[in-house]
Amino acid sequence: MGGPVSFRVKVFLSITASVVIAVWLVAWIVSTLVTRSFERQDTQRTQTLVTQFHREFERRGVEVARRIEAVANSDAVQQIAVNLNSPRFDTSRYFDQAQALAREQSLDFLEIVGPDGRIISSAEWPARFGYQESWLTPAVDWKGQGVFLKRIELADGSALGLITVRSVKAGDGALYVAGGQRLDQEFLTTLPIPDGMHVRLNTDFEGSTSPLIQEVRRQPRELARTSADATLTAIPLLGRDHQLLAILLVENSRAELASLRSYIQATAWAVGGGGVLLGLLLSLWTASRVTRPLRQLTASVRQVAGGQWDTRASIESNDEVGQLARDFNQMTEQLAEQRDRMIQAERVAAWRELARRLAHELKNPLFPLQITVENMQRARQTSPEQFDEVFRESTTTLLSELGNLKAIIGRFSDFAKMPAPELEPIDLNQIVREVVQLFDAQMHADGRPPIEANLLLNAHLPPVPADPEQIRRALSNLILNALDAMPQGGTLSISTDSLDRKVSLEVSDSGEGLTEEECERLFTPYYTTKQHGTGLGLAIVQSVVSDHKGTIAVHSQPGKGTTFRIELTT
Amino acid sequence: MRRTAWAWLALSSLLPASARAATRPHYGGTLAVELSTAFTTLESADFPAGLAQPIAETMLRLNSRGEVEPWLAVAWQADADRRRWRFTLRTKVAFHDGEPLTGPSAAPLLLVALKKTYPDVTITAGGQALVIRSDRAMPDLLSDLANARTAIIRRSESNPSIGTGPFRVTGWEPGRKLMLTAFDDYWGGRPFLDAVAINMASTRANGDVFDVPFSATRRILAERTRLWSSPVEELVALVGTGVQPAALKAIALAIDREPLVNALTQRRGEAAFGLLPEWLSGYAFLFRTAPDAGRARQAAALLRLGTLTLSYAVSDSFARAVAERISLNARDAGINLQPTPNANGNLRLVRWRVESANVAVELQRLAGLLGVSETPALDAANPTALYEAERALLETQRVIPLVYLPVIYGMSPRVHGSDAGFALRLESLWVDP
Repeated sequence: MGGPVSFRVKVFLSITASVVIAVWLVAWIVSTLVTRSFERQDTQRTQTLVTQFHREFERRGVEVARRIEAVANSDAVQQIAVNLNSPRFDTSRYFDQAQALAREQSLDFLEIVGPDGRIISSAEWPARFGYQESWLTPAVDWKGQGVFLKRIELADGSALGLITVRSVKAGDGALYVAGGQRLDQEFLTTLPIPDGMHVRLNTDFEGSTSPLIQEVRRQPRELARTSADATLTAIPLLGRDHQLLAILLVENSRAELASLRSYIQATAWAVGGGGVLLGLLLSLWTASRVTRPLRQLTASVRQVAGGQWDTRASIESNDEVGQLARDFNQMTEQLAEQRDRMIQAERVAAWRELARRLAHELKNPLFPLQITVENMQRARQTSPEQFDEVFRESTTTLLSELGNLKAIIGRFSDFAKMPAPELEPIDLNQIVREVVQLFDAQMHADGRPPIEANLLLNAHLPPVPADPEQIRRALSNLILNALDAMPQGGTLSISTDSLDRKVSLEVSDSGEGLTEEECERLFTPYYTTKQHGTGLGLAIVQSVVSDHKGTIAVHSQPGKGTTFRIELTT
Repeated sequence: MRRTAWAWLALSSLLPASARAATRPHYGGTLAVELSTAFTTLESADFPAGLAQPIAETMLRLNSRGEVEPWLAVAWQADADRRRWRFTLRTKVAFHDGEPLTGPSAAPLLLVALKKTYPDVTITAGGQALVIRSDRAMPDLLSDLANARTAIIRRSESNPSIGTGPFRVTGWEPGRKLMLTAFDDYWGGRPFLDAVAINMASTRANGDVFDVPFSATRRILAERTRLWSSPVEELVALVGTGVQPAALKAIALAIDREPLVNALTQRRGEAAFGLLPEWLSGYAFLFRTAPDAGRARQAAALLRLGTLTLSYAVSDSFARAVAERISLNARDAGINLQPTPNANGNLRLVRWRVESANVAVELQRLAGLLGVSETPALDAANPTALYEAERALLETQRVIPLVYLPVIYGMSPRVHGSDAGFALRLESLWVDP
């Protein structure tokens, strides 16, 4: 996706990322610290409230104990206790006594229970007189039991009570006075509950689906759960037999925390946004200050790449960029010197190669010429009568060899004056077929191991703007080269294909292949690996391809044949 | 030692005198009556239960044994088919405005009262005689004429209630206060009290006379206040209007009436198994049954009852206590019976007063209250038929009698002269000066 990311963008991203990360980090740290502090405070407030609840619980307990004690010592109860063992004593006369005593002592619950466990009078459920209250009759030191929580059955349900029991001696038995005060939401209103805090007393949790309550029911212990809106702490309230009777729910609103977090977030967004803007401005400034010499250097590099070796970067500072520019200038100077030396060396090498080739090519026809002339001289001296004969034969030979010399010089001359290509849309596949057709006889010549031509031509090849004659000539040279590489026979593969706005032409042989060094020098003029080659065939191919703004490459490995690949622009 | 002896002697000499003062009635004084209830008319029927209306009188009245005895009418005769009755009015009886009570003055007042029961009744009068006729027999006419509904009373623009009773109205604020003054020309002699002040809807229980709830009787007695109690004259019962008869039967089996009587009425009520109290019908003991929670539980289990509701009057704390106790009894039998002050419960707790000393009339009235429309004509002189009729009413499984209640008034030690009877008669009371 996209091109390389510019330095300016990188600077912008770096600065922006730095600012955003720093802001985010600060916001996160502040938010975390605030949250921890809030939660600590939250826990403290909850604990304070729970402590106050227990304190109020104890205070009410003391009060309840005092009032029940007063009821137990009242004349009415003492009179019942005294008369209880009388055979004519009628407890039904006192069925409503508890109500009056409860009113008098401001008690929500009060029951007077006989030694047999039967209720003599009940304030909370007056109609229950005569019914059994069996939990009171077992031998228990009720005074030592203190005040405890108990679920009290009522006519219209049940209620939670802070209960204590006193026994009053009644003859051989005991009269029980059990009562207390209701522990309900009203009880909680006496607690100083801070703002944002809510306290509920959950006594009807049988059908509750709250996971917190379910967990406390499974294992009665103080638990807390935090949600986005609030922290809910559940404190189990147990009865005398450690059964769960109620759950005190303390809800601490986290609205304040949420508001604070929201504020921190908003600030972080604002600072982050400012950071991005700052990053943009800084990147522009940095780009103008830092990247300008780099851009100048880049332009200089491009000029050098374009062949302007005399390009020099301006040196505007003594920093790393200035040093880079100095190094660049030094490098280009050295490169220019090396290039000149290489050109000179290559020229010398080319001249030497040309001289060597010319010497080699010219030496072959010159030797017969020398022998023929020497034969003619020898015949003139030793056998004048045969001189004419020798002369005729020698001149024929001389003319033949001179023809060879002319042909050699002609080929060199042809290479030297390759004409500019005359471009026209050509069907490359058609040219391939025609050229291969020309070589068909040669590939299947008698006395020569057969060579199979394998054409893989893309039928949807687009027309290529090219000079058909030069392309034929280049292809002919490649095929000729391939045939020479397969003296033992083999397969000549030619394929064409369509690329992105290009076409490719590959010519492969199944010959011995070339070494890496041979591959590198293959297109050097006058270089040949063959005994009778001029070394101009592939140089001509490269010249044609180059004139068509195309590319040519060779891929070969010893023993695996050679492939030439030409790519032309459509 | 001598001084002590003289003191004892002085005290002992005072004792007979004070005892004599307590037992000898004397005139004068105002009696303060404090009532927790209120009434808004001066009709005899609207007067508080147990308190005889002292303004108007009836032709006849019931004695303490429930028998009819002469009152404004001193004699009567009936023909064989009881369609024609002749009454002779007491002489020297005057209305509070001075008009003498005669046949012609009483006839139109009596006619209005009797027309409600006997639409075709006619009354002819002359002198002190009154002849009451109807096309159909009037066997219960005597008990009707002893009923407060047939009290002879007139109204004028200045006086809302002009009767022949021992007290006349001198102040009347409906629902709040009634001031009565002794009627000097009362035919039975001037009452002892000069005046009676009746305060209604009062929360004070410290008047000379005041109504007492059952729950307060023990406390009242402890305060050395005397209690006056009427015979049981009010039936508390459960009426099942939207409940299947079998369910009502199961509930009836579950109910233990003994705690209701012993505790809730403080032994002043009577367990009710029939519709009429024993003193009225004479056969109520025949309906007596024992509670059987086991059978009730079995019956309820078969019925698979849901939650039933039991309505009671929201202002009636006694009814509420009864309802809650019955709810407990029902719960023991596995029946969920929820007391509610709403009026539309499956069962209703009702309080029905005895309005007539005539069993047949009462049974007919109760049948009407129970919605039993087809009841045969009953002969008050045939107890077997009355018993069968009452049993038939009970077997409709529409009602469960619970308890009969008396009316109880507390009287301060300064009040004297109360006697046993169906109602407390103000004219018989006198107070210490």
